[in-house]
Amino acid sequence: MDDVIIAILRSATPLVYVTLAGVIAQRAGIWHLGLEGLMIAGACATILGTVLTGSIFSALLIAMVICIVASILFWFVVEKLKANQIIAGLGLTGLGLGGTTLAVESIFGSQAAVTAPSGLPRLGAMFGAYGTLSILVLLMPLFVFAVWVLLCRTRFGLRLSAAGEHPFAARSVGVNPGRMRLIALMIGGVLCALGGAELASGSLQFFSQNMTAGRGFMAFAAVIFGAGHPIGATFAALFFAIVGAIGIRAQLVFGERVPHDLLLALPYLATVFGIWLSARLRGGVKAVTGFGELRDS
Amino acid sequence: MSEEKQIVLECRDVSVRYGDVVALSGVSISFARGRIHAVVGQNGAGKTTFARAISGLVSPDTGEIRIDGRALPSGNVNQARQAGVELVHQSFALPPSFTVAEAMQFGAADGRIYSRRGLERRWQTYLDSLNVKVKAGQRIRDLPVETLQSVEIARALVSDARLLILDEPTAVLSPEGAQKLFERIRHLKDVGVTVIVILHKIREVLAIADTVAVLRGGLLVEGPVECSGIDAEKLAELIIGPAARPLEEDQKAALTGSLDTAHAHLAQSVDRATVEPVLKLSAVSTRHDSDGPPLEDIDLVIRPGEILGLAGVEGNGQRTLVRAISALAETSEGKITIEGLDVTRASLQTRRAAGLRVIPFERNVEGLSLTSALWENWSARELLQRPLLSMVRPSELRQRCGTALDAWEVHYSNVTQRAGSLSGGNAQKVILSREMDEQARLIIAAQPTRGLDIGATAFVWDSLNRARARGCAILLISSDLDEIMDICDRVVVMLSGRVVGTFTPPYDLADIGAAMTGVSK
Repeated sequence: MDDVIIAILRSATPLVYVTLAGVIAQRAGIWHLGLEGLMIAGACATILGTVLTGSIFSALLIAMVICIVASILFWFVVEKLKANQIIAGLGLTGLGLGGTTLAVESIFGSQAAVTAPSGLPRLGAMFGAYGTLSILVLLMPLFVFAVWVLLCRTRFGLRLSAAGEHPFAARSVGVNPGRMRLIALMIGGVLCALGGAELASGSLQFFSQNMTAGRGFMAFAAVIFGAGHPIGATFAALFFAIVGAIGIRAQLVFGERVPHDLLLALPYLATVFGIWLSARLRGGVKAVTGFGELRDS
Repeated sequence: MSEEKQIVLECRDVSVRYGDVVALSGVSISFARGRIHAVVGQNGAGKTTFARAISGLVSPDTGEIRIDGRALPSGNVNQARQAGVELVHQSFALPPSFTVAEAMQFGAADGRIYSRRGLERRWQTYLDSLNVKVKAGQRIRDLPVETLQSVEIARALVSDARLLILDEPTAVLSPEGAQKLFERIRHLKDVGVTVIVILHKIREVLAIADTVAVLRGGLLVEGPVECSGIDAEKLAELIIGPAARPLEEDQKAALTGSLDTAHAHLAQSVDRATVEPVLKLSAVSTRHDSDGPPLEDIDLVIRPGEILGLAGVEGNGQRTLVRAISALAETSEGKITIEGLDVTRASLQTRRAAGLRVIPFERNVEGLSLTSALWENWSARELLQRPLLSMVRPSELRQRCGTALDAWEVHYSNVTQRAGSLSGGNAQKVILSREMDEQARLIIAAQPTRGLDIGATAFVWDSLNRARARGCAILLISSDLDEIMDICDRVVVMLSGRVVGTFTPPYDLADIGAAMTGVSK
């Protein structure tokens, strides 16, 4: 049983961090399709940073800085250049996927994967079987709680939501919606860096091309499934991770009788199901009115 | 010195430009403390811009705004709020998904972590102290407009406002709601708050304000002068301007809100009961959807040559009714007939072929494609009725469009110009010229004069009267009771998706108002 829970936590943790980033952006009025790009940038920067500096903490710092800078770029394109969020987000994802490949190749030549000498600090023996998990797994519930408090229990959260939902209302109490969106995206950048770091360096210690494999989009789906609420979206992300773990277990059980590609596709099928369900529960088209447009009036 | 101290707000030579449009031009005005000041003007006179400029939402291109003698940095809402200036918007600025407590909190000054219950308790006490009857846990989107307005005013008063600006607060209220609002405003004055209230009806100005200032075309033409020294006639002239012709009777009615316009045409009306109705709704109900309450058991008849007014506080099913008649909302029960033809399940095409025409609520969204050329907008009616593969000859359509627009007195330069480049009044005339053709039998006019100036309003009314004379049946939906009482032959009132009253002239404002708010008699 322990190994199932470990497997779930391993796949859920990166997803939850990135999902939280998506939730904060969504509250501020941005449908963040650049999560995938930020996540892989975080993963790549963590591994390359560890290789180059030898210190996981410097690597984490580098990853965060890169993700924050990329988030500011995204904000600039969406807010100042008035680009469509969806297009800009997909562009950021493309930049992340391509840029990390380029970074690996320019530093190590044509190499499929880069292995780091060390990973994130582990929980250690006092956690028994769970000792091999990274500290980011343990911190994950704290982050969820912190984001929940920030969004749902402070005036900052209210102003952030107002900036996303009704920018004019925000402006009329003296809140600058553009600045709120910038702050939201920057916090999101930090969370994506953590998510990417956990993915590449939490249980494994290597980076390979396209290793996020759509997890950023899955996080985006969790935001929608969870109705933009930090707790709801976290549970949605956990649900996707559980389905993924079941898929892997099922491979062991069914062996050759069920094509294993089909089982690997389970989390993605669950994502589609989640989106469908949330559309059913919440009036479908109504939820995506003005999709991708910055609301500003 | 003491004279100086009495001035709470002073504007010096304030101008605001939006691109090429001058919204305010060199306005210099000052307001005395502790009184109720009205600012009036037609649509487009710059009233809302004025309100936004003094509350810091819009930064003036030139000029200076001083609160209590201190200059306000331009376009800074925070500074204006700190100086005690709060603005209540015409269309409320509260996020719909927030609870009342959250909406109060997000504008307040302290930023501690709160618990939901603590927050609700705290704001409930505050709302109760202001005598606003609402639960702090309710969502903004579930509130009726009158409560919403009270909440917005309460929000504005959170930070100890000393100057409260209300932008057209009566536009969304029933007559009774307006009375309550006026009582609230008077109470605020008693506790020392200076109130600037932006209005467009003279009757309301004279009912509530101590002084009045008039804006016309972005210029301050008068004021502030004491209301005791001015009468409705004079004020109407100031609002419209000296260039205007002697006021037409209905223009004056539109401004002053007089209720005594004679229903002269009633005398000539035949005994309508014997004539076959153009539109007949029998026990029509719709399912619940996101745009307002569903219709419940609606019976409605409009006969040829009749204007039926549909009154009601906004959001009580008027939009659903229009959508049900124009095949946009599905009728779950009952029957709709147009000219005797059962169209309950018919498409919009079939209904339009039977003579249905719609002047929709949102002229810039539903009525016109702003990015398309005038002739394309104008031809839509005809082209949509044609067979799918019929030839379209643009040159011919352009020519006919030009002729039609000239006949409707539309001011345009070229039929290929985009519809979005027209002013509100001209845009509405394009819709009228499309929807009020010879084959029209049933015209749904939804808020046809909203946002139009006096001249264009009179034009629309005249057009409706001419269509009536031709024997059209007209359904006029309006939130302006004066408009409804002036030109309708019969008035029905909707409340929560039901028809709750039918009235015939002479109308009694109080009766209709009571029906609108559901006060049983």
